[in-house]
Amino acid sequence: MSDAEIRRADATTRVARLRRTVQQTSPGEVVLYAVLVVMAGFYLVPIESGLVTSIKTNTAIIGTAPYAPPGANGVTLEKWGTAIDALLRGMGNSLLYAVPATVISAVLGSVTAYGLTMPTWKRAYKAPLIALIVAGIFIPYQAVLVPLTQFWSQWVGIAQHLSFVWALGVPDDYAGIVELVITHVAYGLPICTLLFRTYYKTMSTEMIESARLDGASLRRVYRRIVLPLSGPMFAVVLIYQFTQIWNDLLFTLVLVSTESSPAAPVVLILAGLGSSLEGQDFALRMAGAFFAALPTLAVYIFFGEEFAEGVSA
Amino acid sequence: MATLELDSVRKTFQDDSGEIVAVDDVSTAIDDGEFLVVVGPSGCGKSTMLRMVAGLESITSGTVSLNNRVINDVKSQDRDIAMVFQSYALYPHMSVRGNMSFGLEESTDLPDDQIAEMVSETAELLGISNLLERRPTDLSGGQQQRVALGRAIVRDPEVFLMDEPLSNLDAKLRAQMRTELQRLQEDLGVTTVYVTHDQTEAMTMGDRIAILNDGRLQQVATPLECYHEPANQFVAGFLGEPSMNFFDVRFERGVLVGDAFEYPLGPEVREALDGTTDLVLGIRPEDIELAETASNDHDFATTVDVVEPMGDENTVHLKFDEGVETMIATADGFTRISAGDDVVARIPAESIHVFDRETGEALRNRSLDSKTLSAALE
Repeated sequence: MSDAEIRRADATTRVARLRRTVQQTSPGEVVLYAVLVVMAGFYLVPIESGLVTSIKTNTAIIGTAPYAPPGANGVTLEKWGTAIDALLRGMGNSLLYAVPATVISAVLGSVTAYGLTMPTWKRAYKAPLIALIVAGIFIPYQAVLVPLTQFWSQWVGIAQHLSFVWALGVPDDYAGIVELVITHVAYGLPICTLLFRTYYKTMSTEMIESARLDGASLRRVYRRIVLPLSGPMFAVVLIYQFTQIWNDLLFTLVLVSTESSPAAPVVLILAGLGSSLEGQDFALRMAGAFFAALPTLAVYIFFGEEFAEGVSA
Repeated sequence: MATLELDSVRKTFQDDSGEIVAVDDVSTAIDDGEFLVVVGPSGCGKSTMLRMVAGLESITSGTVSLNNRVINDVKSQDRDIAMVFQSYALYPHMSVRGNMSFGLEESTDLPDDQIAEMVSETAELLGISNLLERRPTDLSGGQQQRVALGRAIVRDPEVFLMDEPLSNLDAKLRAQMRTELQRLQEDLGVTTVYVTHDQTEAMTMGDRIAILNDGRLQQVATPLECYHEPANQFVAGFLGEPSMNFFDVRFERGVLVGDAFEYPLGPEVREALDGTTDLVLGIRPEDIELAETASNDHDFATTVDVVEPMGDENTVHLKFDEGVETMIATADGFTRISAGDDVVARIPAESIHVFDRETGEALRNRSLDSKTLSAALE
């Protein structure tokens, strides 16, 4: 057979297969897929609108519908440039507290959960502790705002304790970053502990017992057995905590307060970006929002596979 | 090399409904190098007993001693005991080599090259040298079982504890591993406590078997002693497949009177009863002889209800012509017999067991030519 003949034969089988698929599709399935496509479109429209808006010129924004693509002359990357310029320093500041707070709360949560799950404690001691931790999850942010500022401004003068750091030339506004780290760790600890505890309860107790009989102490069992097996749950907790801390505006407003501060996190700057007395700069706001969301997106992509495994566990 | 001793060991759990006794006053001693099989129905406390020896379960009262040292308060990791679990409990994130060296790394100060050497020696012994770099998830059930064994053996512990290690294997592999495990234990000479609910494993593997029911020790003896001279009705019924036939009887005028039959007793048996009148008569299926015609007063007319051919033998369910009672007999596989046949079942006087119906205690066990028994035990 010549090449052409083979290609023709291929095409015929492909057509035949297509025909068979079409014939086997029931009307119910057609409706199902139609609904799914509509729903997917419905969910994606806001993102699509945001993206196209962010690359439109001011005239294109007025001239076209929000979801419609800009015309040939309506495209500009200028707003992205402005947004990146404005947000870049905030990005650094945000990473400065979001990364340590996420890692510390995940590690502490894991250790706490291990302590509450694996060793044989008396139930009478364990239960109140767990109840306390669960209660911690349900304390609303708003309820702690006043005590939180009181705590940091009047009881713990972190700015004074770190005077040697300011002496090195670091602006003392960065005391707010340290406060944010500690606050977010404290606030995230309950949910992290609970997530790890659920995961550790599904771990084979016989495996842990086996390790104990093999001569490993509690600490060694954690280091060599439990921690290496915690990967998927770490992915879940890291993604959850990072997104939560990165996006939180309330604590940053209370602890850092002004966007003009050198230690201002990205959310604070983003809040004021593109709004002025002349009105809203929609393109700039969209570009800023997308730029600020990039790290959370990166975390999802980076830990995605483990995340799926951890969620299903 | 060690002797293990349990003295009045008791374990209770607190429940909403009160106290549950899991292990009740168990005392037994396991000699150096001995293979003790603990057997009993599920929930009898055998695993709890093993876990107390391992230190995974606290002891409510009594003592566990290893080499005459009480180890009640010694932590699991310091007991120098290795345990093989039913689920194997391998560390999934480590290779087979990692699994096997873990115990040595944690419990000894041996240098790495010596550990590596011991691991490869043990792997060789178990025929798993080619699996050393694989992960447990890539292994078959039988291979995982070997790794679990290897992990225990490589540590050369004072005592092996095995909690139903073969019950996740298929029948053929189980029989094969049974033999292999026995040979290994003999070669290594390590004191072993083996928990199972499988009476074949109990009968074939152990030097002695301990039979547990409701947390209480029923009998500790060699397998054949337990089989032929059970201490009570529970042991008699638990060992043996198909199990012993039991008939509720009353002792009247030198005769055992049952629903369906009367069984005359010899003077020796009568004396052993010692005045107890509410009794249970026991007879093992293989001791019942099937005949064409009745020739003495130990022969009973029966009808064959069901025949289960096993190949080498037939399991025959018999119905007494009078009354509703049934019994099971085993007959040679070549016997031509089918449902509905009339046969005569002979219950030989020397093969009967008689139990106290209230306490279950054996009053009279089958008479054995003691020479045969001791010869069999050799």
